[in-house]
Amino acid sequence: MTNAVSIRPDRPALPEWVRRLPEYLMIWVPLLLSAAHLVSFSLWTIWISFTPSTLVPVSGWVGLRNYSAVAASRNWQIAFDNLLLFGSSFVLLSLVTGLALAILLDQRIRGENVLRSIFLYPLAVSFVVTGTVWSWLLNPGLGIQKLVHDLGWTSFKFDWLIDRDMAIWTIVIAAIWQSSGFAMALFLAGLRSVDADIIKAAQIDGAGPVRIYRRIILPSLWPITITVVVIQLQFAISTFDLVRALTNGGPGIATQLPALVVYDLMFQRSLLGRGAAAAVLMLLILLAVLLPYAAWRYIQRRRAAHA
Amino acid sequence: MRESSFAPSRILIYLVVLLIAAAWLAPLAVVVLNSLRSNEEIAQGSMIGWPQHWAWSNYLTAWSGFCVAETCAGIRPYMLNSALITIPATIFSTLLGAIAGYAVSLWRFRGDTWIYGIVTLGLFLPQQMRLLPWTIVLRDIGLINTLAGLVLIHTIQGLSFTTLFCRNYYVAIPHELIRAARIDGAGFFRIFWRIILPLSGPILVVTVIWQFTHIWNEFLYGVTFTSGQQQPVTAALIALSAAVADIPQHGVQSAAVIIAALPTLLIYLLGGKYFVRGLTAGAVK
Amino acid sequence: MPITTTRRRLLAGSAAALALPAFARAQGAVKPRLTAISQWSAGSDGAAITALGKKFEEKGGIWQHSPVPGFTTEMMNKLRAQIMAGDPPACSQLKGPEIAAWSKIAPTVDLDAVVAAAGYEKVVAPDLAKLHKPAGKWIALPLQVYSTNMLFLSKRAMDKAKADKIPVTWADFNELAEKMKAGGVASPIANGGTRPDDGQKFEAALAGISPLAYRAAIMNLEKKALAGPEIKAAFAQVRRIADWMDPNVGAQHFSTNLKRFVDGDMGMMIMGGWAQGVLRNAGFKFEDFTIAPGPTDNGKPVFLLNADAFIFWQRKEADLQAGQTLMAQLVMDPAIQTMYSQITGSIPVRTDVDLSGEGWSEGQRTTSAALKSAIASNQALLSMAHNMAQENGMTAAMIDVITEYVKDKTIKPEQAATRLAEAVEGAR
Repeated sequence: MTNAVSIRPDRPALPEWVRRLPEYLMIWVPLLLSAAHLVSFSLWTIWISFTPSTLVPVSGWVGLRNYSAVAASRNWQIAFDNLLLFGSSFVLLSLVTGLALAILLDQRIRGENVLRSIFLYPLAVSFVVTGTVWSWLLNPGLGIQKLVHDLGWTSFKFDWLIDRDMAIWTIVIAAIWQSSGFAMALFLAGLRSVDADIIKAAQIDGAGPVRIYRRIILPSLWPITITVVVIQLQFAISTFDLVRALTNGGPGIATQLPALVVYDLMFQRSLLGRGAAAAVLMLLILLAVLLPYAAWRYIQRRRAAHA
Repeated sequence: MRESSFAPSRILIYLVVLLIAAAWLAPLAVVVLNSLRSNEEIAQGSMIGWPQHWAWSNYLTAWSGFCVAETCAGIRPYMLNSALITIPATIFSTLLGAIAGYAVSLWRFRGDTWIYGIVTLGLFLPQQMRLLPWTIVLRDIGLINTLAGLVLIHTIQGLSFTTLFCRNYYVAIPHELIRAARIDGAGFFRIFWRIILPLSGPILVVTVIWQFTHIWNEFLYGVTFTSGQQQPVTAALIALSAAVADIPQHGVQSAAVIIAALPTLLIYLLGGKYFVRGLTAGAVK
Repeated sequence: MPITTTRRRLLAGSAAALALPAFARAQGAVKPRLTAISQWSAGSDGAAITALGKKFEEKGGIWQHSPVPGFTTEMMNKLRAQIMAGDPPACSQLKGPEIAAWSKIAPTVDLDAVVAAAGYEKVVAPDLAKLHKPAGKWIALPLQVYSTNMLFLSKRAMDKAKADKIPVTWADFNELAEKMKAGGVASPIANGGTRPDDGQKFEAALAGISPLAYRAAIMNLEKKALAGPEIKAAFAQVRRIADWMDPNVGAQHFSTNLKRFVDGDMGMMIMGGWAQGVLRNAGFKFEDFTIAPGPTDNGKPVFLLNADAFIFWQRKEADLQAGQTLMAQLVMDPAIQTMYSQITGSIPVRTDVDLSGEGWSEGQRTTSAALKSAIASNQALLSMAHNMAQENGMTAAMIDVITEYVKDKTIKPEQAATRLAEAVEGAR
């Protein structure tokens, strides 16, 4: 990065800025539009969160009232706890699943193309469809449990969807099904880029496959792991359509998630101000996750620059 | 790890992989089977089951038969609408993202890290939050109820992902290549067309796949910013599932789901190999 | 003809345009046109609105309906976007207290003249009429009515219980459920488990135990009534209902149970009148089930009203104004209401429509008779679960408590009553 080409005029026939206008426009217009919409939309939401807006945005000032109302609501408390549980377990499990799939596919097995497509195809499916189909499969009266009962094993029980304590795990299952293909693809890519000579040398030294994985291959996957974690966390925090179709926050309000609460407050309950406050709280959660990552990237880059 | 004999461990590996693959395919199998059962058969039986009578007509109904209010043309016109939104938005966001990523990674200019950081943060901004601001923006520029408005939204929002991935990909291109081209008198665009674009295959596959599936499957903006005849395919799918006062149309609904998912599924099947390859380069650095 | 005028003249002008003589003039000059937004897109809802559109076109109008598939929330998102863009539809679906709330964010049309000309007010249930003229003037018109607390009885489950008497009070109901259980009916209650479904169980219980307490607590949000013993009794009844349900139902739609209901594997369902159409569309026969008013302890039917309606937004275009007048007249027309209800399975808003003729089912006749009786005894109430009693925010806050209670059997009725009162305070 440090040795990037600097912008300097070569043949000054026209004034430089005129000559380079097209490229400035091509670079700056889209980037500025994108950045401007993000910044202004965020500021707008922060402003709305301090107003008494209900059906439509209005001006006015209510201080922190929207925030205290959101923080005091059972929906938000449950959503927040669920996000911690769902976020951490989903990220962890999708890492494990993705890595396991990648390692399995990396064993020079036949039909790798077909298998990889099988693990990737859920990414092509919309969240609503995923949620709906899994709500069929996981419903004890309609799906897997009923199927097993009909086959004769009547004591079989798989009723997480209707169990308040376990229902959040059905969302984990569906989310892992949908998105661990992405983790797999990243890990597979990482596995393929490990230097073959190092592995060969280790084999000559008599290291077994387990040892090679533990000592050589897995450590080299560290940067990919960080990428996977960030992308899956982003997925976890913005999970919305999937839950809406799978549990709609139920049983009761046991599987509420922040994104659901934001939409519900803003548009279903017509409490724009409160919904905006919930959205701002959600942004703060995001920042709490992203800032350490940004710091890590910064340190890493500094180190690379010095090396 | 690389032995080729048929040791018991290899058989175990195959067993495990095939088992997981079966689990991954199960939801698809259920939908495919349901798409071949009549609505009544599903209503009277269970959600998982083998078709008693193959109801191929579900596909005909889904494609060109069922009604969304006055319009009884099935999913077909909505597929076209989705294509009219998705294809331009995918092309614009990919191309602009590639140029932006190229500029940020290989040309460096004042403020680039800042603007790049802000743009990539867009990946994390929840979309429910952006609905009303977009309403105001589209109103002010007069694009409400036009497909162009949706293309604009998806292009601008898509830039976050495309810029991030393209930039990370281009960072790996040796700077000597650019420097040599510059000494030969090539400018910003010529270098992009002649050198960068030919190298970009894998990453463009990634961004195209990502953008296409996300825009194709989008619902919230799709129904809010269009009217009647311009709605995307997701709206037609929801219309099939949301009738409160009716028997669920699970058969036709499943057939419609399959048809609506075909473009994105195909794109994954065809591009899957490059997807992995492009990700290697685009996400790791 | 381009119209440039001040806002005040606009308001006055559109009101005048709706007076009948002006209407006749307008109709002579322009072809009436109507832009409409609704969520009615599929099944009988879609068929009914399509039929209404045909009638509109038969009268020489141009019908421009834009359905927003999905939940009411998405329809409202669309409506909000149009209003914020200064381009509201000439009329849109909206119901209950939301009519009052939304009428504050954009100007609506004064329909008093057309309503008076049609003599509509005296044939509409009083509580219902109030919702459609929030500031004293009619701005919206109800189109069809459902009762959310009808009782559906499975014939085969009744046979299993060796019972033939339709339960009138909650005590009868509980006794019948026990009999069914003893007679081998696996789950005496066949309801689903969606949020409105859970809300319906509670409102049916409370309104059946005490219509007065329902009016005071749920419709008027009186603190004293919310702390009253009837609320606890209603929660206790809901617990019994929940215990008789198949726990596997989860959050599924009630229609997933219909086969087991008809087979006598499940016995009773407290559901809106629309369930009749669903049963019929699923291929079941009228002989498979009986429809009766929901249980009431004072023996007289309580009718929990759920009415779909159209609100009319002010437009300055002459053709849209003419279209609004035509639409208003159509919506109030007994023939149109008959056509609409016969498609959807609801009953007409007008209490003077005769349902004895062909095209009406026994269930619809029962419902209509229940409405008349309920109006006479002041027991026609507004449904909470279907957003008729309170604005969406308040309703959602109440249903949060109810749905949690239905799904969590460790919560005591007293606790639930306290939480309900707290939720109401929090959402005020």
